[in-house]
Amino acid sequence: MSTWKRNLLAAPVLLWIGLLVGVPMVLVVALSFLSRDNLGNIVYQFTLDNYRRVLDPIYLRVFWNSLLLALLTGVITLLIGYPVAYISANLPPRRRALALGLIMLPFWISSLLRTYGWMILLGNTGLINNLLLALGIVDRPLPMMYKFGTSLVGTAYMLLPFMVVAVFNSVDKLDRSLLEASYDLGASRRQTFFHITIPLTLPGIVGGFTLVFIPALGLYFVSDLLGGGNTVFLGNLIHTMATRGRNRPLAAAFSLGMVALALLVLSLYWKVSKDKSGEALFQ
Amino acid sequence: MNRKSAVLLIAAALVFAAAAAAGAQARPGEITLMTWGGDFVPRAIIEEFEKETGIKVHYKEVTSNEDMQSLLEANPDQYDLIICTDYMVDILRQNGMLEVLDKSQMPNYSNINPVYLNKYYDPESEYAIPYAISISLLLVNQEEVERLGAKPITTYSDLWQPELRSKVVVVDWSVEIMGIVLKSLGYEYNETDPAKVAEAREKLFALKPNIVRFETNTPEDSLINGEAVAGFMYSNQAVKGNAADPRLQPVFPTEGMPIFMDCWVMSKAAPNKEGAYQFLDFIMRPEIAAEIADITKFTTPNKAAEPFLPEDYRNNPMLNLPDEVVENTSFYIGVDKVLVEYEHIYTEFKLR
Repeated sequence: MSTWKRNLLAAPVLLWIGLLVGVPMVLVVALSFLSRDNLGNIVYQFTLDNYRRVLDPIYLRVFWNSLLLALLTGVITLLIGYPVAYISANLPPRRRALALGLIMLPFWISSLLRTYGWMILLGNTGLINNLLLALGIVDRPLPMMYKFGTSLVGTAYMLLPFMVVAVFNSVDKLDRSLLEASYDLGASRRQTFFHITIPLTLPGIVGGFTLVFIPALGLYFVSDLLGGGNTVFLGNLIHTMATRGRNRPLAAAFSLGMVALALLVLSLYWKVSKDKSGEALFQ
Repeated sequence: MNRKSAVLLIAAALVFAAAAAAGAQARPGEITLMTWGGDFVPRAIIEEFEKETGIKVHYKEVTSNEDMQSLLEANPDQYDLIICTDYMVDILRQNGMLEVLDKSQMPNYSNINPVYLNKYYDPESEYAIPYAISISLLLVNQEEVERLGAKPITTYSDLWQPELRSKVVVVDWSVEIMGIVLKSLGYEYNETDPAKVAEAREKLFALKPNIVRFETNTPEDSLINGEAVAGFMYSNQAVKGNAADPRLQPVFPTEGMPIFMDCWVMSKAAPNKEGAYQFLDFIMRPEIAAEIADITKFTTPNKAAEPFLPEDYRNNPMLNLPDEVVENTSFYIGVDKVLVEYEHIYTEFKLR
């Protein structure tokens, strides 16, 4: 097939992406430079005011909060997700399919409902507190809701499957003969793990981290419900600005700040994994 | 992009446009409402109307006034009647989206209490018919307040008592929280004077340790499950909290309260204006308005509905608002002038 014809086959997908990702993106960029009038209508007048506001020290702390939440989410999901993925990938084929199915199962339930589930678990009159009270371990409910940590638990829980699946694929592809070679040469299990397994599954780790980090920036309903609105993240701020704040140009400028954070992580991914096409993210 | 894909793109755009145009056709014998979810216009009432008139009612649910505005401005000829909050009536009116209502087509219009007419959002009452009224107030568990060693709460200022640490829940919106502070200082809502705003900012920051949770949708839950002892919320939420636990009692802060009016408006390009007038007149019938008020638990502006209201509704001060309470309320006017500044202060407040 000629190159021309081969490229034509990609046209529907390119068109799809162009219409649904490219065009809105261009609109958001344009919007972020516009003004608005007293009624919240967009006025076609160029301004840099929105960006000046985004760079305000108070709002920069909101960026920091979001960055911290996303980084910690990445670390937590890695610490929990790696062992899960490693063990599942080494199971016999039938059980492996079952394990993978169980990991994906929560996706069948609305994420909003699962967030309410956490509220039922962690609330003052929730399951955990009732159990602790009944066992006499505490004499009044432990306040576990409405903190940064609560948002973190919820976000990490929500995104854990992405990490597991990314690492799973990379463990699956691991050439077992290399591990045997390592043992034959007298390396301990521990040495083999850190010197052979980890480096060879690094693309999965970095890919999983990227897949977790980026959505963690935007899961604002989790921090609204579990964080009790006590911590401001970028997602909450953009949501307020775009809806009740009736300031879509400012919301657009904040969104582009969020895109910049995401690009930062993607560029690190490209650097570490040398996966220029991003193939490993979707394997 | 090469020429082939450009052609494809244009073709796709045309298909989309054709589909959108097909949806906009006027359909006689049908009306389309756009309003809040959760039985805000009760299904039972709609069914009654459909049975009586044979007009089919479509119901588009939205979650914010801003969504409503976007949908209406994108397709003004797809909606007949819209319910939106006072400030959005003002915006839609000034943007020229609304139809001047022909009162002669609605004999029941005279049932509306004139106290609720000619407000800032519609000075001549040409465009909007008030439907559901609510205020914000404090819901307090005075027993628990006393147990914590604080004095009973009667004003906003009482929320600052150090005994109430992590025991207050509030709705999550900068304008309203700044409003509490401004009122407690004896100022008006949406103050723009920099000196007064700076004073309010400092006082706002002092409130932070007492707030356990910011929650707009179900703040009453925090009082029911005991994680808070006082809450600033909308009256319909306070009604629910009070019904779940009678120890939770309303407090009408002496400094004054905000009032909200959800109103019916008609799209200027409404496809079935006749049907829309029939619907408006139907829901303004005294017995129907009373039924709606009882189902939705909002205060009704329909004066003639009063004798039809059930006893527990009439005896509930959060639903049947006493005159002196209504006189002590005001609208949030001019939000746009203060919003960017208030949002900034509010974010700083939350980061503390």
